[in-house]
Parts: sequence; C-alpha cells; structure tokens
Amino acid sequence: MQIVSGGVSDVGRVRTNNEDSFRIVEPLNLFILSDGMGGEAHGEVASAMAVDTVEQYCSNPGSAKGDSGVTLHGVASDSWAPETKVLQNAVFQANFNIHQSAQNHPEQRGMGATLTAGWIHDSKLSLAHVGDSRAYLLRTGSLQQLTNDHSLVAEQVRRGILTPQQAEESDMQSVLLRALGANADVDVEIDEIDVMPRDVLLFCSDGLTRMVTEPEIAGKLQAETDPKAAAQKLVDLANERGGLDNVTVIVVRVQDDSKGWFSWLRRDSGKKE
Amino acid sequence: MAKLSLMFENKVVKEVPIGSRPVSIGRSPDNDIPIDNLAVSTYHARVYYEGGRLVVEDLDSLNGTFVNDLRVERAMLHDGDSIWIGKHHIKVDATADTAIPVDTGRKAAAPKINETMVLDTKARRDMLQQAAAMGERSQFSPGRLKMPTLVILNGRVDQKEYVLTNKLTVIGKSPMATIHLKGWFKPQVAAQINQRDDGYYLGTGAKIPSVNGTAIQGPVRLNDGDLIEVCGIRMNFIVRE
Repeated sequence: MQIVSGGVSDVGRVRTNNEDSFRIVEPLNLFILSDGMGGEAHGEVASAMAVDTVEQYCSNPGSAKGDSGVTLHGVASDSWAPETKVLQNAVFQANFNIHQSAQNHPEQRGMGATLTAGWIHDSKLSLAHVGDSRAYLLRTGSLQQLTNDHSLVAEQVRRGILTPQQAEESDMQSVLLRALGANADVDVEIDEIDVMPRDVLLFCSDGLTRMVTEPEIAGKLQAETDPKAAAQKLVDLANERGGLDNVTVIVVRVQDDSKGWFSWLRRDSGKKE
Repeated sequence: MAKLSLMFENKVVKEVPIGSRPVSIGRSPDNDIPIDNLAVSTYHARVYYEGGRLVVEDLDSLNGTFVNDLRVERAMLHDGDSIWIGKHHIKVDATADTAIPVDTGRKAAAPKINETMVLDTKARRDMLQQAAAMGERSQFSPGRLKMPTLVILNGRVDQKEYVLTNKLTVIGKSPMATIHLKGWFKPQVAAQINQRDDGYYLGTGAKIPSVNGTAIQGPVRLNDGDLIEVCGIRMNFIVRE
C-alpha cells in the first residue's frame, strides 16, 4: 500500500508563539501531532518532547528499558497488534518524560500537551491519543471522527448532558480531562482501524476544528489531492476565519492500488514495465 | 435579608436578594436567575420565605434540583448551602444584609476560559460525579453507552444481527466490511456508520442509504428503531437495554 502525506503547522492570527508540534516519519508511516500548554512558551517544550519521544520510541522500541520508570505493557498481550502496543508505550514514555522534566524544572510546572498519533502497517492503522487533538478518516465522501476528545465538554456530550452544539458554544471547551505531563501516569486511548485504498486520514489540533466545519474539511480534502497542499489550504481557511489558536494539520492519502493490477496485466502479456 | 449568588469557578456572577417575592430560577429569560442551558428547565425552581424560613422548591424540573448533594423537591435552606441546578452552583447566603441592587437589565456574562486547563483528579472526579448524577436523568439518551444492534430484515448477508462494537462499521463487499454484502456488483463500501460522542451516525459510501424511507443528504444520527436501506438490504437500528 503506497502512502503519501504532508503536514503544516501555523501560529495562527492571535497567538505570539506556536506550541503545536508534529512529525511525519515516512519510513514507518508514523504520524504524530501534539498541542502544548503552559505559560512562557513551555507548551512548545512539552509538545516537542512529546513528538520526539514517540518518534524515538517507535523507531527503536527495545531501547527504552526498566529504569525509565514507565510501566510497560507486554507487547504481545491481548488482541492488539504489536505496533499498537508499542505506540501506546511510546505515549506512556512521552508522558513520563514531560512530567519528569516539570518535576526537575520548577519553571515548567503546569506544562502539558495533547498527543494524537497514527501508525499504518499492513492495512491497519494503530491509533493512540491523549487529549483533544483529533484523527479523522475520509472514505467515499464521508468524514468520520476516529478519536473521542478527552475534554470536559465532550465527556458531557457522551453522558447526555450537552448536545454537540452546546459543547461548541461552551466557555469550557479548553478544559481537558487528560493530558501528557499532568500526572505521573496517564490513560492512553488506543484503537485499530482497517485502512483501504483511497482513504484519506487527517490529524489536526483543535485550532482547525474550532474554526472550520467538518463539511468544509471534507470538501478541501476531496478537492485537493496533494496532501501538503490540502493541509496548507485547511490552515489558510482556519486563519481566514480568525486563526484564534495555533493550527496544525497532517493529511495522509492511501493510494489506489489499481495501478498494480494493470502492471500485472502488462507483465502477463509479455511486455516489460 | 438573604441573597442567592450564582457562582462560576468560585467567582460570583450574579447576586439576587430574597425579599418578600419568590426568586425564580430557570432557562426562560424572565426568571430572576436565568440560566441559558438546555439541562435547565424553563421554570426550574424557586426560593422563598415561608414562615420565616428559607425554602427551595423544585418546579417539576426534568433534571432535578440539588441541595448540597441531595436531590430535593422542597427543602429548607441554611446559610452556606449550595443549590445545584444543571452544572450551575448557587450559593445561599442567609446572614447577608445587602441593599437591593439596581437591575440594569444586562445579563452577567460568565468569564471565558481561553487557556487550556487540565482538571486535576479531584476536580475531575467531582465534576464527573455531578455530571453522572445528571446524566441518569438527562433528556438526551446517550445511545453511545449502550451498544446498538443492526437487525437484518432482508438481504444477502452473513448474519441475522450485528452488534456495533467498533468506531467504524463498514457495509459493503470489502473483506474489511463488518456487514459483508454478497454479489458481484456490490460496491466495496456501500455505507458506513461512525460512532461519535453523541451517538451513531450513518454516512454514505458509494451508495446513498435511506433512513425511514428518506435518502440521507449527509451524516445522519441514528435513533432506536430506525429503518436503514442500502443496496437492497433492509435493517433495523436497535438500542437494547
């Protein structure tokens, strides 16, 4: 399965610094996004730490050993794929690193970050997230949300206290129930989704979804087939609408594999590719 | 003279003295304490003096009125008590001797939170406990908390029923589809169901499904008993207890 991707991160129109970070690890088809929080630019430190840790850990799972202080879950336990468990452990490690850093540097107290990461392997997407940065899937024209926000208002929607519209109007939208760095341990939510050719994945910080509606996101993703250009168009739209927060977008396209079928046909008729 | 203080994050947002007339609380703007939130009934509760005692009375509200942690229909109030209506906290001050404030007609605006906050464990637990107490009596049915079933009424598929346990359910010919359609000319993805915070949404695939006889025009939230039809398959969306 061939994958193409691109990402853009922007400070927006109101904030003075960008506390979002993202990373695309092409050889692994690993996509990582983090939205940092904490005064005095410590949000940048937290989100960079989150992204670096997940990249390093997934690239080299064996290297993080016992004295890291993180309780690792057995990679082969239960029915999750190994990559899913490794990804989850990577996020545990990121939480530990951020929390430790804040313990050792009092000026960093209160810094934290969201994290959303996707890892595509063998037609499967492993997803892990903490916080309210989202992953979406666009498939045959329908945009579907793959992650549930770990925010107070989203929890109130899940419990039937608020409607989604009320959640969007709430003054408490920024209040999170989970974040990296807040505690020594964290509950990392994981999931696996089967991936099909022509799927488009989107990872974004809430700077996008606060400013742009889902039908608009779907429209841009369908109209622009180059992933980086699509990401840029979404960022531009968020800024046109006011750009109230940092905005980061990663677009991933799973290529149609019908080309492979035709090359089989050509081989069969004796012609070389 | 006593007063009621509508609180937000330990700050007083609105203060209303309790005189000879009852103080009304509810969603309608003509209440003395209007609270614009759908979890609050139009006329939710009122507070008044009866025989020299301060009383709060619930006006048959949908989600209830709580004093400290107990749901009440009618209860006596004491200095320092907390009235909870929806997620809103109203403090009772029964020793105050305040002058009656001039009503300027403007609603007090709740302070906005622009910076991200993470609730610590205790604050989170407290908020969720209140939320849970309200959720049981909420007017919105959290369909997500129960796993719905698609009961197949007719059509060529593998099973008679499918319990929707995943975030995404695909109906189609693809080997990855949960509801696998048989037949040469069926599309890989005919339709899809996405589990979201407030319920399950049916979306188009290569085909446009219909719900209760009407073709959908975008993602549609499914309700208990809905009849879905796509590619000649008819099924019922059921939320079982």
